[in-house]
Amino acid sequence: MTGARILVVDDEPQILRAVGTSLRGAGYDVATATNATEAISTAAMRPPAAVILDLVLPDGSGVDVCRELRRWTDVPILVLSAVGDEREKVDALDAGADDYVTKPFGIDELLARLRALLRRAAPASEPVVELGELVVDLEKRLVTLRGDPVSLTPTEFELLSLFVQNEGKLLTHPAILRAVWGPSYRTESNYLHVYVSQLRRKIEADPTRPRYLLTESGAGYRLVRPR
Amino acid sequence: MPVLHQWSAHAGRLNGLFVSVAAVALVTGSIFVLRPVAPVLSLGVLYVIAVVFVAVARGLAYAIPVSIASMLTFNYLFLPPVHSLVLHESSNWVALAVYLVTAVVVSELATRSRRLARKAVEAETLRQSDAAKTAVLQAVSHDLRSPLTAIRAASDSLDSRALSLTQSDREGLVETIQTEARRLERLVENLLDLSRIDAGPARRRPELWAVDTLLANAIEQIGPDADRVVVSLAAELPPTQVDAAHIERTLVNLLENALKYSSPADRVDVAVSADAESVLIRVRDRGPGVGVDDRERIFQPFERGAGDRHGSGLGLAIARGFAEANGGRVWLEPSAPGTGAVFVVALPKADREGALA
Repeated sequence: MTGARILVVDDEPQILRAVGTSLRGAGYDVATATNATEAISTAAMRPPAAVILDLVLPDGSGVDVCRELRRWTDVPILVLSAVGDEREKVDALDAGADDYVTKPFGIDELLARLRALLRRAAPASEPVVELGELVVDLEKRLVTLRGDPVSLTPTEFELLSLFVQNEGKLLTHPAILRAVWGPSYRTESNYLHVYVSQLRRKIEADPTRPRYLLTESGAGYRLVRPR
Repeated sequence: MPVLHQWSAHAGRLNGLFVSVAAVALVTGSIFVLRPVAPVLSLGVLYVIAVVFVAVARGLAYAIPVSIASMLTFNYLFLPPVHSLVLHESSNWVALAVYLVTAVVVSELATRSRRLARKAVEAETLRQSDAAKTAVLQAVSHDLRSPLTAIRAASDSLDSRALSLTQSDREGLVETIQTEARRLERLVENLLDLSRIDAGPARRRPELWAVDTLLANAIEQIGPDADRVVVSLAAELPPTQVDAAHIERTLVNLLENALKYSSPADRVDVAVSADAESVLIRVRDRGPGVGVDDRERIFQPFERGAGDRHGSGLGLAIARGFAEANGGRVWLEPSAPGTGAVFVVALPKADREGALA
């Protein structure tokens, strides 16, 4: 995905410069905007492959930018949030943002999230996904942990395969519910928490300190490759 | 100060006595006036007004004597046999009972509502100071986060082997780190200034200073933008007795504020004059000015002018704090919209002995 055009929106010139330089160093083509209006017009003139968006802008909120962009594009949106902006962060996810990083963030983390978002367009074509000691065969519906078979109920497997196909990506509660249980279960987060805890008991060595299936508090869950 | 305290308690008692006597006398006078239009016996109820008034204003300790005095006065002046204190009618006892019950009930209610009001005020004060602390913490964490984000992103990139950076990329990132580190430094300095002002004037070292010297030192501190500052001094300027470091900070902050809120091509005018008590320093910019509603708000810590996201919102609060710690004042002079803002610093003139010393 190198060469992909990334639009970075932030009104702090030094953040824009540091993030812009890093992204160019990682091989991306970078466009910048310093306010909401400029962000929307830049995205409209030359559609980017992904948008990195600060939540607080001088002429409006990043949430409004998300909502506006979602009216005509499903470009991946990565939101820059801050401790204390939890409400805004959740609003942005509800308005169509795909993921967030919290300021101040490490560049590696930002790049990893961005890669995960850009992968989304091309979902895993490989039927067998290896995440450290966890191996998931999507076609044969088989899961092994350190070589030992793991027995999952059909719903648990649906949930795990959704995570595996979106490795590294934040999945919000409503998005997971819709994908696994169907559109009428959008708000039944309790279902989801129960199944996640069952799944953790089967795939995590210590379910209270998950290494694969991470909780993003107030927002959703994320499956990662353990370090 | 125990003597003063005793004196004021004494004065309070005298005052209470006077209020009580005046209330009874006033009602008695009214009854004399109203006697031709209503039966005397029913006019006795007017003493309840005196009792209620004293109970609310002064409490039970005054209301009970007022009740008894009312009953006695009513009996002596109006009830037959007039001019005697003989209680031979049950109406006397009824009147006394009514006055006493009123006194107890009303003063109890008044005391209770006063206590509730005081509690409400205390709770509100506490809540406001908590809210202020929360606002300060939120503002500080926001002001810390932006520079930290830029520094972390820039230093991570410099450190990363995965990124391919040109020499000019690297130089740019180093510059970002330096710029943002200076911004953090400035924020920390401002916070320290603010806490110093809050700690009180104990550390003040007042000396005799000519305002033009303080102004020259301040202009020296503001860097390359100093060229935009144009100063005019009145012919005769009395000296002031202030802590130079404090007042220079006041002036630097006002000058930087004026420079920040006007375009880089515009000049900032500083005019120094004197009136009977003070030396006045007027700083005029040609920026957008300040709306009427914001005239006091902008002096609150962490309040910024419209469109400013990069200042800490501390400059004006610090300018005013240091001026006031030195007996001076800082305010915004009303000006027509679109003509820029005029900030005024008033510093007290040094007294004559000070000036000669």
